[in-house]
Amino acid sequence: MSSIDPGMESMLEMFIYESTTLLEELDEIMLESEKSKDISEKNINEIFRIMHTIKGSSAMMGLESISSLAHSVEDVFFIVRENPAKLKEISDSIYDLLFQASDFIKAEIDGLQTDDYTPKDSSSIIGLLEEQAAIMKGAAPRAAVPVTVAPTATAQTPKQQSVPKRAPADAGISTGDGYHQVRVFFEDGCQMENIRAFMLLTQMKDWCDELDSVPPHPEADSSLSSVIIDKGFIVKFKTTANPEDIYKIIENSINVKSYEILETKEENVSQNATAASSASTVTVQVKDDQGQTSAIAAKAGSKQSLISVNQTKLDQLMDLVGELVTAESMVASNPDLKGLVLDNFNKSTRELRKLTDELQDVVMSIRMVPLSGVFQKMNRIVRDMGKKLNKAVELETIGGDTEVDKTINDTITDPFMHMIRNSMDHAIESAEERRALGKPETGKITLAAQNIGGEIVITISDDGCGLDSAKIMSKAKKNGLLTKPESEYSEKEIFSMIMLPGFSTNEAVTEYSGRGVGMDVVRKNLEKVGGTISVESTRNVGTTFTIKIPLTLAIVDGMEISVGGSIFTLPITSIKQSFKIFDPKQVIYNTDGSEMIMLRGECFPIIRLHDVFSIDNAIKDLTEGIVIQIENASQVACIFADELIGEQQVVVKPFPAFLNRYNIKQCGLSGCTILGDGSISLILDANNLLSIFERQ
Amino acid sequence: MVMEENIVSTVMDDLQGKFLTFHIEDTIYGIELLHVIEIISIQNATRIPNVPTYIKGIINLRGKIVPVIDVRLKFKQSERVYDEKTCIIVVVIEDMQVGLIVDRVSEVVTVDQAELANPPELGTTSNEKYLQSIATVGEKVVLNIDCHKFFHSDLNYTKI
Repeated sequence: MSSIDPGMESMLEMFIYESTTLLEELDEIMLESEKSKDISEKNINEIFRIMHTIKGSSAMMGLESISSLAHSVEDVFFIVRENPAKLKEISDSIYDLLFQASDFIKAEIDGLQTDDYTPKDSSSIIGLLEEQAAIMKGAAPRAAVPVTVAPTATAQTPKQQSVPKRAPADAGISTGDGYHQVRVFFEDGCQMENIRAFMLLTQMKDWCDELDSVPPHPEADSSLSSVIIDKGFIVKFKTTANPEDIYKIIENSINVKSYEILETKEENVSQNATAASSASTVTVQVKDDQGQTSAIAAKAGSKQSLISVNQTKLDQLMDLVGELVTAESMVASNPDLKGLVLDNFNKSTRELRKLTDELQDVVMSIRMVPLSGVFQKMNRIVRDMGKKLNKAVELETIGGDTEVDKTINDTITDPFMHMIRNSMDHAIESAEERRALGKPETGKITLAAQNIGGEIVITISDDGCGLDSAKIMSKAKKNGLLTKPESEYSEKEIFSMIMLPGFSTNEAVTEYSGRGVGMDVVRKNLEKVGGTISVESTRNVGTTFTIKIPLTLAIVDGMEISVGGSIFTLPITSIKQSFKIFDPKQVIYNTDGSEMIMLRGECFPIIRLHDVFSIDNAIKDLTEGIVIQIENASQVACIFADELIGEQQVVVKPFPAFLNRYNIKQCGLSGCTILGDGSISLILDANNLLSIFERQ
Repeated sequence: MVMEENIVSTVMDDLQGKFLTFHIEDTIYGIELLHVIEIISIQNATRIPNVPTYIKGIINLRGKIVPVIDVRLKFKQSERVYDEKTCIIVVVIEDMQVGLIVDRVSEVVTVDQAELANPPELGTTSNEKYLQSIATVGEKVVLNIDCHKFFHSDLNYTKI
């Protein structure tokens, strides 16, 4: 971080956060605009605002390459805003350029977070942007020329910045009727005088009809600070309000040491032509700055109550709440209390329970973020890869407003990126091939998320070539991944082999995928957050990956059930009902001897938990135990256990990493938890139980 | 006299030649003290499905879930009813904690490098391939277990 002023480091994190958010917004706007082949006025203003903010904050951080780049983008959009029709002249390249610019800034910001950051040169992109600006201007009607003076003047500033002599600053401002002039001095050693001056202007904007300053764009060049220190910062404004109010604003502004009111027309009566033109440009500038202030104000209005919190603090809070929940049940169901009549105590614990529930809900909701952010990134990948690979692909996203825990959200970004790249690179065929196959030329990738019973189910499907089972088989054979005779593999098993470590079907390593780290990394990442992945594919029709992720990692409402000596926790969300079988005649037997039960005219299979987990000392007589009906999105079944113990909230803990090798998750368990008495209970996964049963 | 800054390395050196010895039947095994975190008395493990029989389940070690392995079963010896001498040695391997159920823990021995002999190359039974070295301490023979080899079959999944 050599290039960052040590005094600035405390602000660095804020800067990174803010800029990243803004750039994401920018990407979103650009993708939307590119799709509709038009930028709405609102979006133009939005882009302008984003670039303006980045320019200001990066200049403050002393990041010249970013600020000058942002500046030139701003310039281009300045022209567009004045005359949106001109956008058509450059619409081919402007999107690419903007993405380039946003990528450059992103890369710079990423670089900032490493220790050996050296700023890169943004002048090539700036050059291209200026070219576009010139195209638009070149075609501009004569009358518009005065307006476009401003961008030309400012577009050159990046170049001038390297040579800190931008300021013929005292050139002055034409003073006319109704104008007031103030010379402001900032406190000694307050640093960044130019930015403080800029902030002062921003504060005054709301009150003034016209606003001008010497030097004109203090924020654009940090070298102006010295000028402002020496000569003061001259503000000229015209207002319908009482000038005294304005003076008050100046007086109350941060770091203002003193100010003096200059007599109108006292100085700078003689003006040269350049100064005049600079004055006219500035008035234009003021107009659009006002528009932008209102945009900022509107935004501030809706975001006022937001604060950003360090995620480790949230994690800590979550852990604490988890411990609290466990401690609460430790107290409430303490064995010492057995058999005692404790009406008041029970009342109090119920109250406590209510509060911890609420606390937990709040903490959970704090950590929830919508998936749309991840989806957005995929949009960008599809666009970029589509251009590079020359494939027309449309990405459809469904259910972006589905919310997941922040940790999950962060973990799934990389796997998704990888899978989308795979689909783009390997699955979707070239336009000619698609035509030959009678498919629409534009490929389609669908990304859909939905919330089903405490789980998020995300599907990534494409209408590409599908998986080639023969190819997978031979590859698996070559890599020694087969564990049984070739003929015994079902198609599903073959497909799932692509997720084994060290498997990658594409022979050629391309820029985007096929680096040998493949779907196994995807699977591992997903397993880290308790997720599962499965794949279905039909040759030449497409491939669908189905990913299931628990909604949140942390706490579930569970029903404790006992089977033999073991205690299991079944998430309440998957329980439909529980009942006892009184009449053995309710149980009917399938041809293979498997048991089923008739309920209200429907027949459901019975899964004996003691069989699934081979527990010997459990109740085996169906009429003595309890039957619990469980369901997932598509299936319903009944599980048989000894008895229900009671409802309890439990903190889900993953199985120790040591046991990863054994695929415990495939046996109908999703994790484990520590009960109030310190013993461990295994958490049942209804979905998985149902699918195991289906397999049998 | 020991210099202040040497203390840390001295501690490491101190642990270097030390082995915690434990008994399985009449055989004495040793495990490098570096790997050992603590010794706890036997407690009921929660069984988990789909794992080899030598993994007895998971236990709650002050809020941490730790898998436990019965060393007897891992060495393919017959199972034996746990008694008051049965202990769990909690070791750390690749940042993961694992409990080892042993018949009884005896002592910590210091072994000179010179007293260590390599396990025989030929005729190694499946148990001996877990060995790092064989030491003679007084009249006893201690078979030192190589933790990495010992857990190899449980860990190699993550290493591919």
